[in-house]
Amino acid sequence: MSERTLGVLLLGFAGLGPDQDHQQDMYLPAFEAHPGFDVVAKATDLTDSALADPAVDVVSVCVAPDRRADAVVAALRAGKHVLVDKPLALTAADAARVAAVAAETGRVCLPAHHQRFHPMIAAARGAVAGGKVGLPWNVQADFLVAGGTPSPAGELANFAVYPLDVVLALTGLRVRRVFARLSTYWSDGGADDFALLFLTHENGLTSTISVGRTRELADTRPAGLAVHRYRVSGSHGVLDLDASRPAVVLRRAEASSSTWHGAGTVDRLLDELHAAVAAGRPSSPSAADAVHIAEIVDAVRTSAVSGTPVDLPQEGSR
Amino acid sequence: MARHSVIDDTAPLGVVIVGAGFIADHHGAALGASARARLAGIVDVDAGRASAAATAAGGVPWTTDLAEALARPDVGAAIVCTPNMTHEPIAQQIAAAGKHLLMEKPLTITVASARAVVDAFDAAGTVVMAAHTHRFYDYARAVDDAIAGGAVGRPVFARLALLGGWIWPDWRAWVLDPAKSGGHALHNGVHLLDLVSCWLRDEPVSVYARGRAQTAAELRIHDYLEMHVEYAGGANAVCEMSRGHRPSTLDRRDVLVAGTDGVLQLPADGWGSTVVTESGTSLLHPQAANGFAVQLDAWLDAIADPAARRAMTPADAVRAVALGVATELSIERGEPVTLDEVMEGARA
Ligand SMILES: NC(=O)c1ccc[n+]([C@@H]2O[C@H](COP(=O)([O-])OP(=O)(O)OC[C@H]3O[C@@H](n4cnc5c(N)ncnc54)[C@H](O)[C@@H]3O)[C@@H](O)[C@H]2O)c1
Repeated sequence: MSERTLGVLLLGFAGLGPDQDHQQDMYLPAFEAHPGFDVVAKATDLTDSALADPAVDVVSVCVAPDRRADAVVAALRAGKHVLVDKPLALTAADAARVAAVAAETGRVCLPAHHQRFHPMIAAARGAVAGGKVGLPWNVQADFLVAGGTPSPAGELANFAVYPLDVVLALTGLRVRRVFARLSTYWSDGGADDFALLFLTHENGLTSTISVGRTRELADTRPAGLAVHRYRVSGSHGVLDLDASRPAVVLRRAEASSSTWHGAGTVDRLLDELHAAVAAGRPSSPSAADAVHIAEIVDAVRTSAVSGTPVDLPQEGSR
Repeated sequence: MARHSVIDDTAPLGVVIVGAGFIADHHGAALGASARARLAGIVDVDAGRASAAATAAGGVPWTTDLAEALARPDVGAAIVCTPNMTHEPIAQQIAAAGKHLLMEKPLTITVASARAVVDAFDAAGTVVMAAHTHRFYDYARAVDDAIAGGAVGRPVFARLALLGGWIWPDWRAWVLDPAKSGGHALHNGVHLLDLVSCWLRDEPVSVYARGRAQTAAELRIHDYLEMHVEYAGGANAVCEMSRGHRPSTLDRRDVLVAGTDGVLQLPADGWGSTVVTESGTSLLHPQAANGFAVQLDAWLDAIADPAARRAMTPADAVRAVALGVATELSIERGEPVTLDEVMEGARA
């Protein structure tokens, strides 16, 4: 490979909940498999010496969410590029702090919104942007995970970023108004496990997202997606996207399953990380995209409590 | 030992159809296939339409005067298929005549008038049912059977989408005038609002709705409606009703119900065969029971035994109207509207 291999520091092995370890389960194998990266160091916590290591180009940040923003800021200030687990921050204010440092340092700060790299979704983004359905005016999305360990922080904090990022990437239209309901249907812990988001975007586009975690289902691997789909209605057509496809469906004596060949969404996320670093450009998604998503999630919480729609501050009005 | 009644109560019930327009034919066909009821006549303010429909039905009597039809002793009931704003006065007239009524949806276009109609039939001791036909279609019954059988445990989230394109006439159509139709929520939205409420087996408490004038900015109704309903037991529903999609041949029915124990889906492509031809892709509907015939039977059952459990109660019809009214109000305000508000407002 002619491109430079980037040295990676894996920083932190925490997540939203005791058994969530995306560093070990998702990013480490993907970095190891990727020809553009070399894992050169691991650390459970932020130390100056780790960040001073010149062999480290990229820091993969999975420290606990409450200290995550600080760790990303420190890495950026040390001149490193950053891949940051989702959510990038727990509040919009923290996310904005990170985005400001990313802009100031000119380093890549890539939030791990990897679902937008799903092969069906990536193709749909191109189709919508190319006018296949005309001017989009509505998106309906369902993101329902089945089984696995419920997130003690609630599934809004845990999952909503994925379908939100996809809807924003599909339409390119920022959200202006949020109405939301939060429920607890399946988990015993009391944390929310189902959210309904009713969003009004620029140009009057509306979107509705259901996101949550149901109990386990025989046909879905634990913590796998039971329903993951998007419908985009436009002035001249409709695009239906079922993200459980493409799939070769396997039916056996046990529950059926499906399989596909090729790079996964996290592999493609790392392609983007490498390309952004090599080109010296901001990544897509960027830290600024994560800020907008964090604003929406904040508004969801406010609306769920008040029972009324919440208007988001307009860009640049802060 | 079984005893046979000496009174012949098996003679088919004489039913007049009031309003010989688009949907009347479906009711006429259901009556034609029924052994329990027969088409006794046609009423329409338009004499041409009334006579044409009467001729097509094999020469049954027709009139432009509802009172005249209701005065006939061989007429025991009416199926009303007139524009929505006429439902209230026609229903009152039928109640006063002591006849039974199957009213096309919506029962009426205000909660107060819907209540008044139900009260009038209560007082008369006759049956009134609103024709929320979707309840009687195979797909809706399959979903309902599964939920009733406990397939998903307690249903907590339902999605129902009925999406299509423009099927209405031009600007002169009564459907496009909110004063006449009540708005799209009362015209078609009620189908979905009624059905999900029936599936979820819970009482709605509030509605948050968004509407679009998609086909033309000048439309005074919302040809696309999205309606979120929240229920007393905590369940949520999202209903979409569209006549604003393109291509106008789009024909979409989508159901998702998540429950405490499982997930049930009727995928968009799950209820027909895909046909690809030179003029595009379409859905070939499967053979199905005639929903209008099933509905007719449910109504005749209620007439035969008013005390028995009904497939569709007068309270259900009022609730559907209230949900439709709340939807229109929510779109206007951009905020959720409680059922209490639209119910109380109607009482005051
Ligand atoms: N259940 C369903 O699936 C379904 C589908 C479509 C329509 N509908 C309902 O059926 C009703 C009729 O709709 P349509 O599409 O058939 O309308 P339409 O305009 O095709 O027909 C209405 C008919 O009623 C006649 N009419 C008007 N005022 C009258 C009056 N006061 N007395 C007697 N006749 C009168 C008109 O001359 C016309 O022939 C509406 O309430 C509508 O909501 C139900």
